[in-house]
Amino acid sequence: MGINVAVTGLHATDNPAPGIGVIRCLHHPRKWNGEIIGLAYDVYDTGVYDRDLLDHTYLVPYPNQGSEQIFQRLMYVHEQVRIDVLIPTLDSELLLYQKLEPRLKAAGISAYLPPEDVVKKRAKTRLVEFCHIHGIPTPATIIINDPSNLDKALADIGYPLFVKGMFYEAYRCQTRDEALKSFEKLRLQWGLPVLIQQSITGEEFDVCALGDRDGELLGAVPIRKLRLTDKGKAWAAITLRNPRLDELTKKTLKALSWSGPCELEIMQDSRSKELLLIEINPRFPSWIFLGTGASQNLPKAVVNLALGKRVKPLPPAKSGVTFVRHATDLVCPLEYIENLTVQGELHYPHL
Amino acid sequence: MQSRLLKTEVTLTESGFLFDHTTGLTYSLNSTGQFVFRRMQEEKDAEDTLRGILSEFAIDEDTARKDLDDYFRQLKELGLID
Repeated sequence: MGINVAVTGLHATDNPAPGIGVIRCLHHPRKWNGEIIGLAYDVYDTGVYDRDLLDHTYLVPYPNQGSEQIFQRLMYVHEQVRIDVLIPTLDSELLLYQKLEPRLKAAGISAYLPPEDVVKKRAKTRLVEFCHIHGIPTPATIIINDPSNLDKALADIGYPLFVKGMFYEAYRCQTRDEALKSFEKLRLQWGLPVLIQQSITGEEFDVCALGDRDGELLGAVPIRKLRLTDKGKAWAAITLRNPRLDELTKKTLKALSWSGPCELEIMQDSRSKELLLIEINPRFPSWIFLGTGASQNLPKAVVNLALGKRVKPLPPAKSGVTFVRHATDLVCPLEYIENLTVQGELHYPHL
Repeated sequence: MQSRLLKTEVTLTESGFLFDHTTGLTYSLNSTGQFVFRRMQEEKDAEDTLRGILSEFAIDEDTARKDLDDYFRQLKELGLID
């Protein structure tokens, strides 16, 4: 009997969610032995129409509708198609699934998530504190809870600087006017605090890493982004072999005792050559399929970890492997849209 | 002329395509650039590389020395050599 895996985050636009990349990893190098169940939030989450990747899709309530609603919906899906492993791929879902994990486990659904306190340690508002404690370089950052402190923070950090929202979005600002406008925009959209961060000039690297329950590194794919969208998302990238990135990744995961997948955003200062940790995203990146070309299939490792299997550290990622993202059109009959809209579910084998 | 050592792990293909594994940056080298780079990979010193250029290419010593210095300066700026 195969392993059925449910995956969230299927909306793959120019700011793609990681779910489709995760599913492609599961199907690599050959079709997954089990069913793949897509959990979508909207009828037009683009990935749900890729019948080569999914066996079933179910609409689920948004995380802000509460954990009980999600839990009841998952129990319905579980009765219909049996979920063995669940891989949430969105930042906004993580706390919710952490809360649900014991109940899901009792119902037979496994996941491999970092504990809540560990996830909170790497939050944007706490990253500077974490880095200082563990001697990990990070850009100077001031957290603004009271707008009356903004001017002093802008003067202390100096221009150019980044104004960053608590959860999403960041704007690079050259002047006070730009910074004030960005601050107001982020405050209205995401609330306080807003972060004022030193802008680092240099090379940008990303690492997708997987840690075990002790924070030991099981696998890592370091990359340099080669092409970006206007939102700064990777549209092409190449894998690296860089001992300094490896060392920083190992140190960070160990210091956090990070279990599960994450993405580290790192800048190398062009003058000092120092590597600075910018952000830790508590999930797979959308470019995770690149890892399969570099001999690192981290989503498959997560499935094994979720099932309680022992996973040995993977060999180092192969360097020089490139991905280029390619937008395409999926054509589907009206009944696909109808099934999702009316019934909230779509089953490819039966259509 | 000072000897130069490669600072980073690189792959140089037959076609002169150079990949820096630590940064992900790529370069395209002409035949002279490839010649010098392969000499550095073989850990030949700069004087030995200069003599090699003079025997392989139709160029006078002063020009070759100046060009080689200039090439080393560019490679240093790119972080490829010390």
